[in-house]
Amino acid sequence: MLPYEIGIVETRNVIKTILDTYGYDFGDYALTSFKRRLENIILTNGLKDAEGLIARLENNKVFFDSFLKDVNPETTEMFRDPPLWRDLRDDILPEIVRSSVKPKIWIGAIDSGEELYSLCITLQEIDMLDKVNILSSYLSEETVKKIKNCKIDPRQHEANDANYQRCNGIKRYADYFANGMGNGASTINAGLIENVTFVKQDAVFSNPPGSIRLALFRNQTIYFNQILQDQVLNRMQEVILPGGYLVLGIKESLENTIANNKFTVKNSAEKIYRKKAG
Amino acid sequence: MYKAVIIGGSAGSFQIIIRILSSLPANFPLPLLLCLHRLKHVRSGFVEALSIKSSIPIIEPDDKEQIKPGRAYLAPANYHMFIELGNRIALSTEESVNHSRPSIDLSFITAAQVYREKLVGVILSGANKDGAYGLKKVSDLGGVTIVQDPNECQVKTMTESALKMTKVHHVFSPTEIVRFLQKINK
Repeated sequence: MLPYEIGIVETRNVIKTILDTYGYDFGDYALTSFKRRLENIILTNGLKDAEGLIARLENNKVFFDSFLKDVNPETTEMFRDPPLWRDLRDDILPEIVRSSVKPKIWIGAIDSGEELYSLCITLQEIDMLDKVNILSSYLSEETVKKIKNCKIDPRQHEANDANYQRCNGIKRYADYFANGMGNGASTINAGLIENVTFVKQDAVFSNPPGSIRLALFRNQTIYFNQILQDQVLNRMQEVILPGGYLVLGIKESLENTIANNKFTVKNSAEKIYRKKAG
Repeated sequence: MYKAVIIGGSAGSFQIIIRILSSLPANFPLPLLLCLHRLKHVRSGFVEALSIKSSIPIIEPDDKEQIKPGRAYLAPANYHMFIELGNRIALSTEESVNHSRPSIDLSFITAAQVYREKLVGVILSGANKDGAYGLKKVSDLGGVTIVQDPNECQVKTMTESALKMTKVHHVFSPTEIVRFLQKINK
């Protein structure tokens, strides 16, 4: 367990340092989880406390990039919530491919690639991988390198495989690994993600890509406070095309946000929303 | 006066949770926070099972849901459940702790940081050591700590780990836990 606990004042100091030095604003991140991320970063980097973290953050771009990688929790699972992936495969993805040429799919959530790999596998299984444009957001260059490496921690295979089976996919989970699933990290077939475009974001998604048909933004707003949830979801709303879709995590909601009246609920259990026309 | 009760349990705790829920009145004066180990991929059914005999409404909260008295908040499958300043639930998909998501430790630590001496923490039967460190935080920050008597647990590991780490206020049988909660804030 964590031997060091960061206080609220120290957390605010870290946030201010980052804003002043790099222009990234974490001021409206949800406090409890953000504090835990900072504690983890302090611990794993062998720092003593918040002051040590601040000293390291100042004038060290390389460290800051690694900070950006660690400040957002990893998704840790492929095909999380299998009913959603079945719905995407059987309904949403075929529809958006039918209704437009090379529709843009945006993975807004910042994670370690699991959502992207799951999406690409799903698309490949319905022969639609080359019929869409996939954009994947990132905060940290290190994360992009990691995602492009296509390495999956072998400890995650069991959960990933179980999820994949619940999706009723047409292959076996193991079929997607170039070198099998033996000891050591396994590599997902890199061809799956070769046409993905990576788009840099800041901490508050100030500049999302436009003309989006489907935005996957699951389990990202849980790391924001309600003010930032409102702002970011409204920004997403603006870039999603009429008739396009927004998918949130199953415990996230548009209810009580200003973006709510722009959408209808397509699937309440899987939190799939559809942007109204006009 | 206490502000919240948090209960952690795993293998062997289900019947006791049912008993606690069925013994408390609908106007129970505090929120009950429940962090129980459960299958990651089974999203539904648990609330329904717990609700059958409960007068208290049981909720699997959405993120940032306001915490209210007289309700039980069950940590959702495959999320950690934190207590956030402002008396709200905050969820997280960060890595498992003690092989668990939800992790009892994380719910207890964050509840202790918010409610401090106004928190009652209860550890029930279970098969791993999750919750032991969390209960220590409840104790360190001035809250009341209760552990189910290991001799009455179906699986003792969790309660014994908690007792090893913390000098708790009460080691109770299920009947005594129910009695304590029925008299709380009276």
